[in-house]
Amino acid sequence: MQFSMVEEENIDLTKKTFFYDYGEYEQGKGPATMIEEIMESEHFPHLKELVIGNWGGAYEESCQAVIDAIVANAEKFSHIEKLFIGNMGFEECEVSWIIQGDYSKLWEAMPQLKELTIKGSMDLELGDICHEELEALTIICGGLSKDVIQSIQKAKLPKLKKLLLFIGIEDYGFDGDEDTIKELLEQADFPALTYLGITNSEIQDELTAIVLDSKFMGQISTLDLSNGTLTDKGGALLLEKVPAWPNIGKLDLHYNYLSDDMAEKLGALPMEVDVSEQEEAEEYKGEIYRNAMLTE
Amino acid sequence: MRQVVLLGSPGTKRTIYLEKAAEQKGLPIVFTDWNSWNDCRRLPVAEELFVKIDPPLWSSCSLEELNGLADGYIRQLEELGSYAQKRKMTFLNIPSAMIELLDKRACKARLQQAGLPVTEIMQTYVCLNTGKLTAELLFEEMHRQRMHQVFIKPVKGSGAAGVSALRWQPQTGRMALYSCALLQADGTFVNTKCLRRFSKTEEVFPLLDRILEMDCIVEQWYAKAEYQGYSYDLRAVVQDGRLDFLLGRLSKGPITNLHLNNRPLETAALKLPAHTLDDIAKLCQKSMEIYPGLRSAGIDILLEKGSMKPRIIEMNAQGDLIYQDIYNKNSIYGHQAEMMRQWLCGK
Repeated sequence: MQFSMVEEENIDLTKKTFFYDYGEYEQGKGPATMIEEIMESEHFPHLKELVIGNWGGAYEESCQAVIDAIVANAEKFSHIEKLFIGNMGFEECEVSWIIQGDYSKLWEAMPQLKELTIKGSMDLELGDICHEELEALTIICGGLSKDVIQSIQKAKLPKLKKLLLFIGIEDYGFDGDEDTIKELLEQADFPALTYLGITNSEIQDELTAIVLDSKFMGQISTLDLSNGTLTDKGGALLLEKVPAWPNIGKLDLHYNYLSDDMAEKLGALPMEVDVSEQEEAEEYKGEIYRNAMLTE
Repeated sequence: MRQVVLLGSPGTKRTIYLEKAAEQKGLPIVFTDWNSWNDCRRLPVAEELFVKIDPPLWSSCSLEELNGLADGYIRQLEELGSYAQKRKMTFLNIPSAMIELLDKRACKARLQQAGLPVTEIMQTYVCLNTGKLTAELLFEEMHRQRMHQVFIKPVKGSGAAGVSALRWQPQTGRMALYSCALLQADGTFVNTKCLRRFSKTEEVFPLLDRILEMDCIVEQWYAKAEYQGYSYDLRAVVQDGRLDFLLGRLSKGPITNLHLNNRPLETAALKLPAHTLDDIAKLCQKSMEIYPGLRSAGIDILLEKGSMKPRIIEMNAQGDLIYQDIYNKNSIYGHQAEMMRQWLCGK
């Protein structure tokens, strides 16, 4: 079992990343052995934040055994407030190849959980989400399925403050469209939401228009539309509509396709605005190409 | 009379910054253009020469010409070696050792024989032979060896020319080939110096076949150490047994070569543990001991994610040009100038 070498984690004993490298996986380690090893770790009793990286061949085996083992040992995990499953880099597995699992039973098993982050969306299922304490839900992926979005739409998360979704693209799992997100924002009931992230989309302009007309605009303090294909069209909408919402203190538009001029105008809005890392569209054989940040 | 000679190309950063370093030490260097050598096969007249050989400039982006250019360069180095036998000549790096490092397969085998950790080459006869490997055979081998992600590197390449990364998900058949190589519509095969991702079988197979035709080594693709969301490897410049420079090469993609707009980072920022730095320094020293004819080399080193175990990716007898150094202290060429000055003084 490997521990991450991130410096701050060496200091912060309440957070740890566990993962298997290729050699360990080849020697027979995998999702079925991971949780047992984590529980045996001397760090485990002190952890508040548990990060699970590559469970061994994440492109071959799902993390279902990891989730099931947490559920089966729920009492032993009762001190974990933040959980991240699938925190692995590009070199370990393409994000769209990470085989996720079914989280249906996790909600009841971890009532103390405050933050859940999931990376990868292949075979991802959230089931019926009902959780009294969850404050943040983040899904990082190359393409989010309609089923998962609908689970979120119906979720009972009264304390949810942060919802960050990487919408992604059709080739990598997003089988919805603008209406899917419109329905999500219309029907979802998150009374405590202060951070809304609808990001990493190849229809970022269209989704921006939907977000700006959503009921959450009056309650959020952070609007995250980063990592997508937002152009000046979406930028103009933001310029027009965001000033009507003084509750928004931060607008994250980093990694998009805004012109310098538009980025400057948006940067001058009376709030914290991140317009860094703007990309330039590529032209090939007369076609214009813009890519969301995380798709592969 | 003793004379220091730089054999290279005029106006290149290599030439300019070595000359600057020499000037600071009051060291006279005679510059000889590769074109001049090619025309008359002669170096300046002096009783004894100390020669540094920089690489000739290659302007072609055709990968079809890569092996021919490399073979031509090897012949030039062989000629220099023969020429040196007729005169009193000392080299910074002797041509025969430089030639050895131009063959990635042979270099890696030699390092491995010496027990040094390297990025492992896929061990099969089709991968070890010359130019017989095809895309189909490679996928078969990857499946058989359960090695689902590999690097493919032309044996005689330099930089990222033709270097490709391939991964494959056997259950779904999904594949991804990352390469700067491109088969153009007119059938030409070029190095675009721009990393692309190919995921359709009908794109991957023809391109991969063409890359493999160049005669390639296939290596295991290790997950590299990470820093702030980037993966990185290291370029070490080792001279006279001393680790003169260590640079992090950060990348969001699999290939860290700095010509691909990747991000260089001083290793101090990586905050590597002292024992890891010590392991790297020892590995560099041992690598150089295997090639006593080299006084200067660039060594690319990977740190495995998690264990931080260093492995040599490759060695380059002309890997001394580091922009982060020449625009700062110019210490690498400064050290070379000092070696040359000491030789001039008879030390």
